[in-house]
Amino acid sequence: MTRLKKNSLKRLPEEGGFRPTSRTYSKFNRIDGRHPFQKATKDSFVAYRARVRHGGEVVAFNFDLAREMGLIPKNHPNVMTDELKDAILDTFAIVIINEYDQINNIEYPKEDIKPHFYMATRYLQLQHPNKQGKTSGDGRSIWNGYLESKNGIWDISSCGTGATCLSPATHIQKKFFQTGDPSISYGCGYAELDEGVSTLFFSEILHKNQVTTERVLGILKFPDGFAITIRAHNNLLRPSHMFNHLKQGNLEALKMVVDYYIERQEKNGVWTDMPREKNKRYDKFLEKQTEVFAKTAAKFEDEYIFCWLDWDGDNVLMDGGIIDYGSVRQFGLFHSEYRFDDNDRYSTSITEQKNKAKYTVQNFAQIVDFLKTGERKPLKEFAQTGWSNEFDRVFEMSKLKNLLYKIGFNKETRDALVDKHYELVKDFQKVFSYFERAKSVAGPKEVNDGITWDAIFCMRDILRELPQLYLSRGESISREEFIEILKSSYALEEDLALSSYRKKRVDEFQVLYWQLIKAGATIKKSTINTVLLDITMRSSVINKYDRVTGDSITTITNMLMEKIDKMAPEKLYRLLHNFSEYQNLDPDTDKNLDKNQWRKSQLMRGFLKVVREYREGL
Amino acid sequence: MNLVFYSGGTEEENLEVDEECLHLLDNPNPTMVFIPSSSYDGEYEFRHFVRHYQTFGITRFLYFPVDVPQDNVLLKEVFQSDLIHLDGGNTYYFLNCLRKRGYLAFLKEFALSGGVLSGLSAGGIIMTPNIKTAGYPDFDCDENEDGVTNLRGMNLVKFEFFPHYKNSLRYDRELRKQSRLTKNPIFALPDGSGIIKTEESMQFVGKAWCFHQGVKTLINT
Repeated sequence: MTRLKKNSLKRLPEEGGFRPTSRTYSKFNRIDGRHPFQKATKDSFVAYRARVRHGGEVVAFNFDLAREMGLIPKNHPNVMTDELKDAILDTFAIVIINEYDQINNIEYPKEDIKPHFYMATRYLQLQHPNKQGKTSGDGRSIWNGYLESKNGIWDISSCGTGATCLSPATHIQKKFFQTGDPSISYGCGYAELDEGVSTLFFSEILHKNQVTTERVLGILKFPDGFAITIRAHNNLLRPSHMFNHLKQGNLEALKMVVDYYIERQEKNGVWTDMPREKNKRYDKFLEKQTEVFAKTAAKFEDEYIFCWLDWDGDNVLMDGGIIDYGSVRQFGLFHSEYRFDDNDRYSTSITEQKNKAKYTVQNFAQIVDFLKTGERKPLKEFAQTGWSNEFDRVFEMSKLKNLLYKIGFNKETRDALVDKHYELVKDFQKVFSYFERAKSVAGPKEVNDGITWDAIFCMRDILRELPQLYLSRGESISREEFIEILKSSYALEEDLALSSYRKKRVDEFQVLYWQLIKAGATIKKSTINTVLLDITMRSSVINKYDRVTGDSITTITNMLMEKIDKMAPEKLYRLLHNFSEYQNLDPDTDKNLDKNQWRKSQLMRGFLKVVREYREGL
Repeated sequence: MNLVFYSGGTEEENLEVDEECLHLLDNPNPTMVFIPSSSYDGEYEFRHFVRHYQTFGITRFLYFPVDVPQDNVLLKEVFQSDLIHLDGGNTYYFLNCLRKRGYLAFLKEFALSGGVLSGLSAGGIIMTPNIKTAGYPDFDCDENEDGVTNLRGMNLVKFEFFPHYKNSLRYDRELRKQSRLTKNPIFALPDGSGIIKTEESMQFVGKAWCFHQGVKTLINT
């Protein structure tokens, strides 16, 4: 039983007599394989015919995203009408007619064959034998097309639509595979349902927390148990879409892809200040990409997002967005030594992501020079050119601002603190980092999918509690109390010893924290208590006790998989909506959730327990 | 002992209860603790709470969700504060969390030693001998999804509390029936009303009815 609020909940559209007309789902017809990339570029994709894949069911549909994309009307309820289901299946339940089918003269009914070509795009991938990207790209995905709406242009691609000639398996085994070939897993061209569900939940949560990412529009399931995951984003190009041409010295193709990318960013209103002159545009392109990747690397590090950035530029989008959630994780603590074991190699660690991002920009610098001069100079020549300093500057500034955000300062104060109290913020960052990076005396250890070395302190907890305690007491807390709040479940007794050095660091942390608060009060022309209270409220959201980790998403996906067969898409959507809103830790947005709804769902109650249980994990 | 029972309603409707509540505080710069019924969206409820009480000049607040583990530092601070507010929500879930983490005894001790304990709706029900009023009437009750069987509350008063009361036949029918099953009087309050209970007195703010042994009596207008 609860108090009624003045600002009543923004209701989600419900069924309420909604009747689709013949035009309601007409936008789906525009998604037919055709895409401007096909005309704007060369040597950048393999075109495939596609046919209807029968027997599909809609497991999930992201109504919020569909409305945002303009794919369904704004007033469309969160209801899977028969007409909507048909539109989804007609558009996305497809499988390519691949090389194996053609070589073996496999015939399909004419009426099943789609009228237009779909593209599997070419890009560089480190797991391919050819390190120039001559044979790699979308191994089990195709691009369904694009959609132009008031909210910009959206690229739409699907994973699990058949084996293409660009999968690693084709080139390692030197043969074309039949789609669904059970002798080979990844190379068979199909996708697993749990991959899609996991991506759906993880990406939607990160999206709500202002992390740029691909999003899942829907998931289809087929009688053989495999699935198609439909993904959408404003621009699905990855750095690796350029790096293949760069490595091959294919200037013409490279230029086309870069030009295409710049134009799309302009059309989407993301880049509004691009010069008209060609070379200046490329310089600006490098400037933008430097900023994007420096900010992205800082964000990943500060939000403990592990995304396996690497030299091929494959696991990230050009705009820094996350794509392919296979190895993506969000840690509860700063487990900076975790490495994913990908059978034949270990991944980068979270702290190495910065240099990988920087290396990616170094490639952009090489690209720009190549485009401007027509001569491809060695990559190492671009290691220390102007962009490099700019990358370091943006990275450092982003790290400082991210830290101030996590403390709970609003944007205006963050900017002013970095501007006017740079040394103070920097000093605080150092001491913060000392605790954040502290590791257990137990040393490195193996975990089920890699190796790690446990972090021992939960910085989110201290940032959440400190302003409240300062507000209540008006003074610092004791060193013992500080460690009591900070300690995580990973910490052993020896890890928590208060050595004279650590005592000094605890004191330093508190002195600098107070100075930041005082500086914030001066900037805001308000009292220390007002600033502490504001920070208390913001920090309680940002550093909420429960935050999802990669492990919790995996467990939640497993729980869902047990029930998903009998779950209507509407119900899955409600779970997605409520769960992602509950995990929306952005203090500047209002949550749109019904206070008591979560308790009515046994699954949702289970999700919350899982998040709590795994909150400090990997 | 200083207890305040809020029935519910908007912030404006509760201004009078708020004023009476704040009169109970003897610290000119008090610390108020907000305990949400669940941490699901508790931070947002906390924000509403802070913004409201800031208008009375209060500047020190603590946020203390009880369905997540808490360290001893914050725990001690909470029970050294001036006022603890138990918010509204699902009464069964709230009581269960408070009991599981052993906070009921702390809260009782806090109230008995002079701290101001306020409860809104579910929070108020928990301060009474039991939380049976959360389970009726069928058309307006909390769901016991967690299967809570121990319905004993903090037993700080000798009455039961029925918030969000609407003066209508269907509520009355149920309340008359239930009042015959308990020896305690049931105070039924509409939104905006409240009860201020101290060692010496009990004061009603706004309209209040008492249901006792099947009889309904208007006790404050």
